[in-house]
Amino acid sequence: MLALLPSWVDPTAHYIIHEGLTNTLKMAAAAITASVVIGIPFGTFLTVNFWPTRALIRAYVEIWRGLPLIVTILMVYFVGPDYIPGFEPRAIYAAAIGLSLWGSAQVAEATRGAVQSIPRQQHEAAAALGFGWVGRHAYVILPQALRRLLPPLVTLLVGIIQNTTLAAVIGGAELAGTGQRQIERLGAYPPIGLGQIKALEIYGAIMVAFFCISFPLTRLAAYLERRLV
Amino acid sequence: MPLAFDWSFFSEYWHPLLWGFIRTLEVSAIAIAMAFVIGAVGGAARAYRIPVVSQVAAVYVEIIRCTPILLQIFFLFYGLPELGIVLTPFTVAWLSVGIWGGAYNIENFRAGFQAVPHGLREAAFALGFSRLAVFFNVGLPIGARISLPSSINTYIAVVKNTALVYAISYNELTTVALNINAVTLRNEPFLVLGVVYLTLVWSLSYVLRLVERHLAVPEHA
Repeated sequence: MLALLPSWVDPTAHYIIHEGLTNTLKMAAAAITASVVIGIPFGTFLTVNFWPTRALIRAYVEIWRGLPLIVTILMVYFVGPDYIPGFEPRAIYAAAIGLSLWGSAQVAEATRGAVQSIPRQQHEAAAALGFGWVGRHAYVILPQALRRLLPPLVTLLVGIIQNTTLAAVIGGAELAGTGQRQIERLGAYPPIGLGQIKALEIYGAIMVAFFCISFPLTRLAAYLERRLV
Repeated sequence: MPLAFDWSFFSEYWHPLLWGFIRTLEVSAIAIAMAFVIGAVGGAARAYRIPVVSQVAAVYVEIIRCTPILLQIFFLFYGLPELGIVLTPFTVAWLSVGIWGGAYNIENFRAGFQAVPHGLREAAFALGFSRLAVFFNVGLPIGARISLPSSINTYIAVVKNTALVYAISYNELTTVALNINAVTLRNEPFLVLGVVYLTLVWSLSYVLRLVERHLAVPEHA
């Protein structure tokens, strides 16, 4: 099977998989983790009736959800270093930070909805058992809210994986970025490249790779939606 | 690198920025219209199980939703010329964003059409309406209104996604701002980007929610 492919395919695929796929998965793992760790507390605090924290978190959520993600990433990459001393992120780090800002805003909003969907009696019953605010949320409310949060989290993971490609715009070496580099290399004249444009084949193959990752996850999200809600 | 914001920047660069903004609106408008038409036709084909069209629409939806839009843009702009199809950045801009919005809108409209009460359609058939007449007089007016909240989110996402054509250097707002930044090394273009996109997205969602409340089907509100 592999022997049937032209000889340029093997080194190209090797680079895209080892460098690109690895970076894509690393970025996605970092961004989904940061989104959950920041988003769940933020979303829980959004349900607390204390206007200063609510206003601050609401502003955070509306700004990072309102800006196009590419603009957020460009800001982190180009503007961040001017205001934060010693902050000189590589492209994929800047993109992962941008993805985390966007993702945590999505998680915060979803968590707020999930926490508010838990019946008031659950709060009252927990309070009657002597739980304080922290214990009530940690042991009674959030465990139930997390079940309802699971389908939107899987959907967000698909969004994050697909949007890691935005790092290519600032020169990051994830799947789309490594594909871009290989297309440029193959476009050069021999012995470096082939002197041919292989954009259709390479971008097509990377789209197939994203489809193979995303499609099962969208099915999983739909399945969880049916099972858990 | 100048850190303080200098207001004289705006008197110098407002003209290209305004034109960039107008191009953003232009691409958004074409793409939203396209997403509406694709969504209504494809959603109807899915909901009423029109053979062939329904399956084609299903495959189209999965392909678009399971691949990154940036790669779709690259594919159209850098990939298609290998087949002899050369598109201008402007064409790729509205086409890619419109195709993307259409895929999401098919699902929105499908859900909307399926939520139209069966009794209403049966009543229309009983009155002697043809299938097409039932669709235009019952399915579309009610189904489109039920699907409005989710299709509004798609339209807003379409507007935000027009920023991605920065990757192929179409001269919309993001590209203009980044080009000014590249020449002047100033940060004001990013302030402009942030303020303009947030104002656009927030006011658009506010206005569309008003429209939604006005058009909501009472029993679905």
